[in-house]
Amino acid sequence: MVAVFGTLGYRPKSLIPTIRSTQDVDKVVFYCGADKYDPEAVKKVAEAKRSVLDYCRTMKIATDAVDLDDPFDFKRIAVRIRGDIKRHKREGKEVAVFNIAGGTRPTSSAALLACILEGVPTVYVHDLTYEEIHLPLLRIEYSQVLSVEERQILRTLLKNKSKSLTEVELAKLVGKHKATVNHHLKNLIAKGAVRLEKHPEDSRKKIVRLEESTELLLGDDD
Amino acid sequence: MKVLLSTFGKDDFEKVVQAMRRLPYERLVLVGDAKAIESKSLAKIRGLEEMSGHEVADELVPEDGFMEIVDAISEILDRHSRDGRGKRNEIVMNISGGNKLLGDAALFAAFRSGTETYHCDEKLTKLPVLRGLTAKDRFTPSQVRFITQMDEPSVPFDRMVESISPGNRQPVERVMRELRKSGMIETKVESGKIIISLSDAGAEVARAIRMT
Repeated sequence: MVAVFGTLGYRPKSLIPTIRSTQDVDKVVFYCGADKYDPEAVKKVAEAKRSVLDYCRTMKIATDAVDLDDPFDFKRIAVRIRGDIKRHKREGKEVAVFNIAGGTRPTSSAALLACILEGVPTVYVHDLTYEEIHLPLLRIEYSQVLSVEERQILRTLLKNKSKSLTEVELAKLVGKHKATVNHHLKNLIAKGAVRLEKHPEDSRKKIVRLEESTELLLGDDD
Repeated sequence: MKVLLSTFGKDDFEKVVQAMRRLPYERLVLVGDAKAIESKSLAKIRGLEEMSGHEVADELVPEDGFMEIVDAISEILDRHSRDGRGKRNEIVMNISGGNKLLGDAALFAAFRSGTETYHCDEKLTKLPVLRGLTAKDRFTPSQVRFITQMDEPSVPFDRMVESISPGNRQPVERVMRELRKSGMIETKVESGKIIISLSDAGAEVARAIRMT
């Protein structure tokens, strides 16, 4: 199955060219949402959504229109879109392309971020000419930028994120010497993936915290 | 020196002020199109900075053309990361200002250059860009050399051997296979000769390597 993903704002013309230019599309998944306190925006987005649904129905293409509760919540949208892409891949469906031209600014940027992290071909559509611009994205291969030990530490921290782990406790969980873990932590701090915080009861100890962004980077099921 | 670089649109006074409050900095750089640079919002921000004895550096980027904007932002990031005395400035970037095209291009440039990046609106979201890790860091030195030697759209394999490792085809062949497998190059046979060309992703890597 071939799926086209997209973000949608006021203009169906920003999404439909990608459906037309992709071969054998079986499904279109698009994300839309408007500022709830702006009736004009709500109306325009609803009209655009209806147009895309009508177009797909006529072309006999299945659709999944995702209404975003808050189209300005960057992180939540990024997590949602990345999860949907992963699910499609797990089910053996091909995500042919993701059109990030429509929708609010945070929606479009969140979609771009998900595409970079998942290596999905991405297009932009020119505002005036409706010409598609293919973005030369490079998938972030973490095996190349993080060592096996570093990834193990990050996974362990993610699994135990509700706990406040010290370096010693972390070393026990990953089954390595404290000095070894300390060396890897220094590298991870330099890369901006983790940070150390003061222990609330013992000033000699440090708590190892995963940066919020690292959770986005690792995803939920790698 | 800590540099805060923020994308900026003509009505984005509040967004930039939010970023200024939440992300500590010593020098402020605003990146936008001509309308943003001439806007009242920018004048107000200049006024705020003058109160602390500082100036705002404004950087003009093209209004159109995604990759042109990406290249312009990459160049700005590179320039502001150097302090002129051989040291590196610490740059953080906020991508919440300006139009969609500018924000997305800035996000793209952040991953290209390994710049610590935030989306600062009502909430502050740190983006998963690993600091200091550029596109170049994802390749071995031999692969980087191969890619940067691709100075024309199509290059015969024999010419690559001559320029990389004269008389020694085997290591160049190995790198060629690695890069073909990772989708960076494409090869075809023409008149019995192997011709190599960069894929779209490979061309982006080549551009990123040259800019960082």
